[in-house]
Amino acid sequence: MEFLGIGILTWITFLPIVGMIAVLIVPKENQSGLKWIPLVITGIQVVLAGMIYAGFNKSMAGINTLEGMQFVEKARWIDIQGVPWFGRIVVEYFLGVDGLSISMVLLTALISFIAVIASWNIDKALKGYMAMLLLLDTGMMGVFVALDFFLFYVFWEVMLLPMYFLIGIWGGPRREYAAIKFFLYTLLGSVLMLLAMIALYFSVTVVDPATGEKIYTFNMLAMMDPANYEPGSLLAGVGTYWRYLAYVALFIGFAIKVPIFPFHTWLPDAHVEAPTAISVILAGILLKMGTYGLLRISFPMFPDAANYFVVPLAVLALINIVYGALCAMAQKDFKKLIAYSSISHMGVVLLGMSAMNTQGMVGAVFQMFNHGTITAMLFLIVGVIYDRAHTRDLDAFGGLALTMPKYTGVMTVAFFAALGLPGLSGFISEAFSFLGAFQTHRMITILSTLGIVLTAAYMLWTLQRVFLGQPNEKWAGLPDINGRELFALVPLAVIVIALGVYPSLMIDLMTSSLNHLVEVVKAGGTMAMVP
Amino acid sequence: MLEHYLPIFMMILGGVLFGIVMVKLNEWLGPRRPTEEKLTTYESGMEPVRTARERFSVKFYMVAVLFILFDIEVVFMYPWAVAFRELGIIGFVSMTVFILILLIGLFYVWRKGALEWD
Amino acid sequence: MIEQILHSLSLFLPETTLTVFFCAAIIVGLVAGRTSRASLYVALIGIALATWFAIQQAGSSEGIFTGMVVVDPFATFFKLLIGMSAIVILLFSLYSAEVQSTAHRHIEYGSLLLAMTLGMFLMAGSTNLLMMVLAIELTSLSSYVLAGYTREATDSSEASLKYIIYGAVSTGLMLYGVSILFGLTGATDFYNINRALATGSVNATALLVATIMIVAGFGYKISAVPFHFWTPDVYEGAPVTITAFLSVASKAAGFALMMRFFKTCFIDANALGLPAGMWASLQGFEWNKLLAILSVLTMTLGNLVAVWQNNLKRLLAYSSIAHAGYMLMGVVVLSDKGLAAVLIYFIVYLFMNLGAFYVVMLVANKTGSEDIDTYKGLGYRSPLISVAMVVFFISLAGIPPTAGFIGKLFLFAALLDAKWIWLAVVGALNSVISLYYYVRVVRNMFLRDPERNAEPVVFSAPQVVIVLALLIPTILFGLFYSPIVELANASVVMFGMK
Repeated sequence: MEFLGIGILTWITFLPIVGMIAVLIVPKENQSGLKWIPLVITGIQVVLAGMIYAGFNKSMAGINTLEGMQFVEKARWIDIQGVPWFGRIVVEYFLGVDGLSISMVLLTALISFIAVIASWNIDKALKGYMAMLLLLDTGMMGVFVALDFFLFYVFWEVMLLPMYFLIGIWGGPRREYAAIKFFLYTLLGSVLMLLAMIALYFSVTVVDPATGEKIYTFNMLAMMDPANYEPGSLLAGVGTYWRYLAYVALFIGFAIKVPIFPFHTWLPDAHVEAPTAISVILAGILLKMGTYGLLRISFPMFPDAANYFVVPLAVLALINIVYGALCAMAQKDFKKLIAYSSISHMGVVLLGMSAMNTQGMVGAVFQMFNHGTITAMLFLIVGVIYDRAHTRDLDAFGGLALTMPKYTGVMTVAFFAALGLPGLSGFISEAFSFLGAFQTHRMITILSTLGIVLTAAYMLWTLQRVFLGQPNEKWAGLPDINGRELFALVPLAVIVIALGVYPSLMIDLMTSSLNHLVEVVKAGGTMAMVP
Repeated sequence: MLEHYLPIFMMILGGVLFGIVMVKLNEWLGPRRPTEEKLTTYESGMEPVRTARERFSVKFYMVAVLFILFDIEVVFMYPWAVAFRELGIIGFVSMTVFILILLIGLFYVWRKGALEWD
Repeated sequence: MIEQILHSLSLFLPETTLTVFFCAAIIVGLVAGRTSRASLYVALIGIALATWFAIQQAGSSEGIFTGMVVVDPFATFFKLLIGMSAIVILLFSLYSAEVQSTAHRHIEYGSLLLAMTLGMFLMAGSTNLLMMVLAIELTSLSSYVLAGYTREATDSSEASLKYIIYGAVSTGLMLYGVSILFGLTGATDFYNINRALATGSVNATALLVATIMIVAGFGYKISAVPFHFWTPDVYEGAPVTITAFLSVASKAAGFALMMRFFKTCFIDANALGLPAGMWASLQGFEWNKLLAILSVLTMTLGNLVAVWQNNLKRLLAYSSIAHAGYMLMGVVVLSDKGLAAVLIYFIVYLFMNLGAFYVVMLVANKTGSEDIDTYKGLGYRSPLISVAMVVFFISLAGIPPTAGFIGKLFLFAALLDAKWIWLAVVGALNSVISLYYYVRVVRNMFLRDPERNAEPVVFSAPQVVIVLALLIPTILFGLFYSPIVELANASVVMFGMK
């Protein structure tokens, strides 16, 4: 699919950059222009994502085959002629989607659009805000469509700086601390990822079909094929010390983003201090990058290590689920509560992944999508109330259901989706994750279900504290949710309900890819067993 | 390897010996009849009234430095003069360049006013 | 003999040009009068011409003046780098309030910059212990004076004096090491030293002592820990233009000489069975371990101390110490990949570091201060310059899509290729620390409100053009780095080395 001779994935990725330039050109005084340009740009992105959805072939698996990838765009980006002591270096501009990334592309387009709507009442330095938001959008979209590790890494890092500014300039009272903490944590993860990437690069060679020359490559698909590993190179072989080390380095890089238990402390700070729209993006998209990276890179490139470390992964998932839920329960700050609930819900994704079977994987990826939509709703809901009351203290509210009925309706959908009520999307994905994991890690899964109980507990307790009970006199005059806010929330609510009733809309996209991913990981794992 | 340095060592040795011999010869051969007048610091000059360890005006240093700078060039010119015929035109050009560079230095010193006392 | 000298002279054209223009700068300056900028323009033309002549020598590989100096791709690369940074520095100087306020000393400024460039050109090509010491001295003597150029400022004089004292000590140590090395091998020529050492009859302890002493001389030039003590004071006290020049060109020349010295003197030229582009250190003398320790100390200390600095020049001084540490990693690995990585890093470093110093200079011109507090709210008073500063800092921290990332990428690649994993991890963690203090400045520029006068700070068009000329390559080489990598790959060739 092409427009003006440029592929659709390039369009969807770099359109925000075009928007950013437009925003920078528009004069500062033209406030409405500065809001409408990003809205139109992200709107077009949603349309493009819809076209990708419509044109997507559900039977093609992708993962490690070029033939299985769709909407592929491939061009030589950097090509450095070889010298005797340094092989030819090729970096490709290589984009494509498969069943693993399509849901993330849809999610990114959707959440970015909603984030722009949620940013409507930003008044401080609007121009810079919108420019940063659009740059962030490009980085996020790029991560999900890049199939060259170098390109992936560049997109991954491009997000850091806009995020730093978005939290640091437009955030809450402790914004400076939260912003630098986010920046340092993520950079720590990415330098470890960088080292693993370089090690992979030196170990993998492919033959250039044109010249027959051996070239070093960052091509992810080539890195997934054990046959491409140079004998004697650092990461050659199966189940070696270096491979495990590289896996751990990559894992830490992704784990910080997810965030997985010991690396999670940046998240509550960043979420609480960030403005509403940025919290939505953080929880809705950025966290998914960690798990996406694990599935796209760690698992298929290091199947031996993935199998070796599967139990620790499941244990970390358990800790995330239970610890996140317990922390959420203890919060008095509405936003912090949702931040911790994210940790708990991302644990479910990890648990599904650690199952190493199709059910678990589908549950995990579907949960990634659902968590993106549900948490986005929750943060928007907090934003609505914070805009009106200027407090997020849960105990300060009460009986809001009477003063804000429409608001209460929307938020009920979000809350019940978050706690996994059947009929809403969260239930399906959690059920799949737990079912898959139960086959592999029985005990851990049983313990993890405790998390569901805890989630139900804190969600319902919050619902009760804020919306039910005696109305607080102080908030009697709060206006109900307005049209713009509803416009942001309703599409998400529709998706949550639709996917709860008819999950095949999303699940069918990913099954064949995830089936194949499981096969790849299993095959690599059995190779490890046979010395 | 060290034998290459033999002429240099001989030169150093010769220089040192020449100095010592001259001073000592003077001491041995010269007649000495000291009087009080002769033992003063400046026999026919001023009476030393203060300590010799005084601060000098920085101008003296400037003169001294310039003197050394332009004096040393003779060290290069002497061997060149000795081998003038063998070196030929190349040697002549080289020395001209060398002196020109020094002249630029002199010009600089002059224009900067380092040659004026006040 | 004469023919040989004449032939050598033809390959010595860049250096000769610099010498001629050195004389010309003095004469023109004296004739033109006290407040003329003529010397600066003469210096600019001279350095540009010399750099042009050096580029013409690309590809030739020859020893001249009976092996005192070589002209090879490696030397040519560094001449290009040094020449380019000298040109940029002269352009800075035309807009520097510090330099322009002392117009009556422009003669010295222009001519000493030429002399310093000449010294560094010679450093890039020296293959003889004597030439090496002479070249270092020529560079150092010129830079002592330039560091104290604004002598009305007491900190400038202090900087100069500290520089001389530390310089004298380290030169003394180096000379002592050189004489021991000469005593051990009976040669002053690098290649002959290598031959003598390869026989294995040299006392290992004495060799180690000599090497450590010589490293003191190099360490002083590249400001590696523990020979770095002069750096913060000199960088803070000297005019910004000179600080920037010292941090890029002087460091590059020091690295050029050090890499050549180690590669020609201390590798086992007869080692067998090595992969292409790898070398082996001499039997029983693993000098690269020595450099590895130096590298770790340098980058860690530089970064940790930089965190506490509030003066931007001082902060950049410590950051430049840290960068010397990163680049040393490339020498440790004993491979052409490592060498190429250092060269790549230098190209990148040229743009980003000069850019950062230029912004510091522009801001100091307007506000008279280099304190981190003067940067508060600068992002709203002068957006373009502040965004440029952010890019330079992000590049220094090594984050894509800037050129600094490419430098780090190739350094880490060389390390991992040679299986120096622990050093790569230390380097990677250091770049995380470095981000913290770079971001402190970014935070002041964008996250804080201006303290006093909040009116916009406006810069003239040529100043903005210079910023853009440094900014665009910093981003462009981060996205399309083939040219710099290919240049570096072609430039690791040293005369007489396979």
